Amino acid sequence: MSEQPLLEITDLRVTFDLEGRRLTAVDGAQFSVARNETAVLAGESGSGKTITALAISRLLPPNAAISSGSIRFNGHDILRMSQEELTGMRGKEIAYIFQEPVSFLNPVFTIGDQIAETIVLHQRVAPQQARRQAAQLLEQVRIPDPQRVLASYPHQLSGGMNQRAFIAMSLACQPRLLVADEPTTSLDVTIEREILDLLMELKKSLGFSLLFITHNLAIARKISDRVIIMFQGKVVDQGATDTVFRCPRHHHTRELIQAYEKIGKL
Amino acid sequence: MSTYIIRRLLGIIPLLFGITVVSFFIIRLAPGKPVAVEQSLNPRVSPELRLRLEKQFGLDKPLHVQYLIWMKQIVRLDFGRSYIDSRPVMEKIAERIPLTLGLNLAALVLIFLIAVPLGVRSAIKADSAFDHSVTFLSFLFFAAPTFWLALLFMQFFSIQLGWFPISGLTSLDFEYFSAWGKAGDSIRHLFLPVFVAAIGGFAGLTRYMRSNMIEALRQPYIATARAKGLPESAVLYSHALRNALLPVVTILGLSIPGLLGGSVIFESIFALPGIGRLFYEAVMTRDYPLIMAEVVITAVLTMLGNLIADISYACVDPRISYKER
Amino acid sequence: MKRNPYLKIGLTIIGLLMLITLFAPWLRSADPAQIDAAQLLMPPSSAHPFGTDQLGRDLLTRIIYGARISLSIGFIAMGIAVAVGILLGSLAGFYGRLVDTLIMRCADVMLCFPTFFLILAVVAFLEPSIFNIMAIIGLTSWMGPARLIRGEILSLKEREFIQAERALGASDARIILRHLVPNALGPVLVNATLGISAAILLETGLSFLGLGVQPPVPSWGNILIEAKSTLGVAWWIMIFPGLAILVTILGFNFIAEGLKKIIG
Repeated sequence: MSEQPLLEITDLRVTFDLEGRRLTAVDGAQFSVARNETAVLAGESGSGKTITALAISRLLPPNAAISSGSIRFNGHDILRMSQEELTGMRGKEIAYIFQEPVSFLNPVFTIGDQIAETIVLHQRVAPQQARRQAAQLLEQVRIPDPQRVLASYPHQLSGGMNQRAFIAMSLACQPRLLVADEPTTSLDVTIEREILDLLMELKKSLGFSLLFITHNLAIARKISDRVIIMFQGKVVDQGATDTVFRCPRHHHTRELIQAYEKIGKL
Repeated sequence: MSTYIIRRLLGIIPLLFGITVVSFFIIRLAPGKPVAVEQSLNPRVSPELRLRLEKQFGLDKPLHVQYLIWMKQIVRLDFGRSYIDSRPVMEKIAERIPLTLGLNLAALVLIFLIAVPLGVRSAIKADSAFDHSVTFLSFLFFAAPTFWLALLFMQFFSIQLGWFPISGLTSLDFEYFSAWGKAGDSIRHLFLPVFVAAIGGFAGLTRYMRSNMIEALRQPYIATARAKGLPESAVLYSHALRNALLPVVTILGLSIPGLLGGSVIFESIFALPGIGRLFYEAVMTRDYPLIMAEVVITAVLTMLGNLIADISYACVDPRISYKER
Repeated sequence: MKRNPYLKIGLTIIGLLMLITLFAPWLRSADPAQIDAAQLLMPPSSAHPFGTDQLGRDLLTRIIYGARISLSIGFIAMGIAVAVGILLGSLAGFYGRLVDTLIMRCADVMLCFPTFFLILAVVAFLEPSIFNIMAIIGLTSWMGPARLIRGEILSLKEREFIQAERALGASDARIILRHLVPNALGPVLVNATLGISAAILLETGLSFLGLGVQPPVPSWGNILIEAKSTLGVAWWIMIFPGLAILVTILGFNFIAEGLKKIIG
């Protein structure tokens, strides 16, 4: 297909400034994600995957900088965007879900407030309308009692419920790209399964690209169309999932696959 | 939530008991009979008053009986009569409480108005020149004794600039003022005390606010707020600030002991007729009933302040209401 | 590790202060009680760098001697507070349950009394001698150190190295004194340093009210009594003692801040 990829990362370099010392967290990352594709960004802790993911929306902490490279999203050059364009795009075109939903949700606002906030912001509707939409979204993510959850605070809900609510919040404005940073790592295995199924289902019905970050190769194999392996800040392997798993090019990829096969997970 | 309040209220009872025991113990420190000492200091004491006092203190009875007698009285808010003018102690205190509480409340409000913006801005612009100057000023004003600041301000604003009267609550010709005039006169007299109290007290809250805000800004949900595309102002002043301000709600209640304690010197310097100055006068004249009453009452006020602080925090933090503390 | 400006500045200030107070008689041969009727209320000059007071006494000398009083009261009062606090706090933390509840309840009750009221009430009944002031301030400030020690001990009590010591048959006292308390000392040190500032401020306030250090013994607080009556006339009587207090408190607070950074 000669269609332009939705997300194109070229030679990305991200450095951190730690009390005078400069650390390179991402060293020349290069990959792309097509429309409606599920891409998995896999690697061990510290490989730079989360930093890369955050860099896409320029959500890096103040002591980090994108020192070189380019990020193109839907034809736009993200690194050249103004602050206004950036905030207009975040939540609307690119959305995120994170590892521990209860920490990533504000403890003093209700779920309903936090979901409605996005809707009011990007769709400019009245608060009551936003709340109604929020309730509908909660139904879409298969939360049984939407009204109760809307009025609840994050600490009152289970991890699985929080993650569903978070997904609802992120998909509220129908983004083109959903970046999921280890969304099921801290959940129980059964809940993990449900959330993954939910994500796949929503992807099919709403139509968005999914960039899924994980260190779990079993998940990577199951859900993705293409896989990108990162190691020590570099992309060492990438391609269609089956291809990469059958013929890994880099030794690190081989090691990872072997490790998972040994514990019978692949 | 209501169970939490009830539990807290029940927890007060041993505290009240403890307060009365300690207070009782303090008066027993007086060398010799309180009555005898008082007699030697104040020749105006009539024999009838002395007899009444001896009966009031029941000084010939064993200690625990004395305590029970005293307890029975103070439960009815009967703290006896002042040695100086024989007026009921409770009356003397009650008529002065409004001024002290009002003054301290005004000072607290001013402190909030100064400290919260300063602390928040320091946190947002952490390690900037602004932040460093605010920290420096905080240290400075924290270290300066408030009564010395009062003297400085009096020297500058009252004597050199003549903007404010030096002391007292009212001018000499207060009686002749119109209603507006009276209000204005009171404000002119109270402005300096409130201002000095605020200057002396803002430092602590500023640093507290700053560290709360920095802590809030470090939380993961701030990343979420930005990822949602919220403008920076909403991220800072809605998501972060709400969390940072939560514990500050307790400051009002928790400041009470500090403010009451400080009011002793403060009201003396500014010649304001509040309970702090009343206490000072009582100590100077060894007016034991008044001293005892103030010790007990201020302790109870402090305890109430802590209670209010705890309960208001439980009210505003959604996490507390539902968890068993 | 000395990239700690607060600690450096604080130690410098207090270090200088302590040197000054130690060598007071040699630094300034004037007698703090020396009255010079010819030099009443003189502004600062070369003979009297800080001016003189209403009785013609040299202010600089009085301030230096006042430093001795304030510093010793601060240190000793806090020493008492920390000693009592460590004792009660370790008992509460180590033995738990009834002992703990009892001691902590006492602390709660004590904390209900505004310190100044309590101290003034006691001073009303006893003589305001320097010793009494130290004792009272100390006995009303033990709650902070006690709470800290108790907290640390509670968390350290169940750690492996303590179980090991018990298994080896160490006595309670030995465990507390040699293993638990030293580990908990960090926060207590910070608290104690801040406590010294608080104690000095308390003493200053008391002396200012005439209920602390009694004249003619000079204390920064009682020198300031004169400042009130000479307001507008003798600025030096107000400025110099106040600055002395300010700088001293600042020094201790800086040390506390620096210590906080080390402890982390």
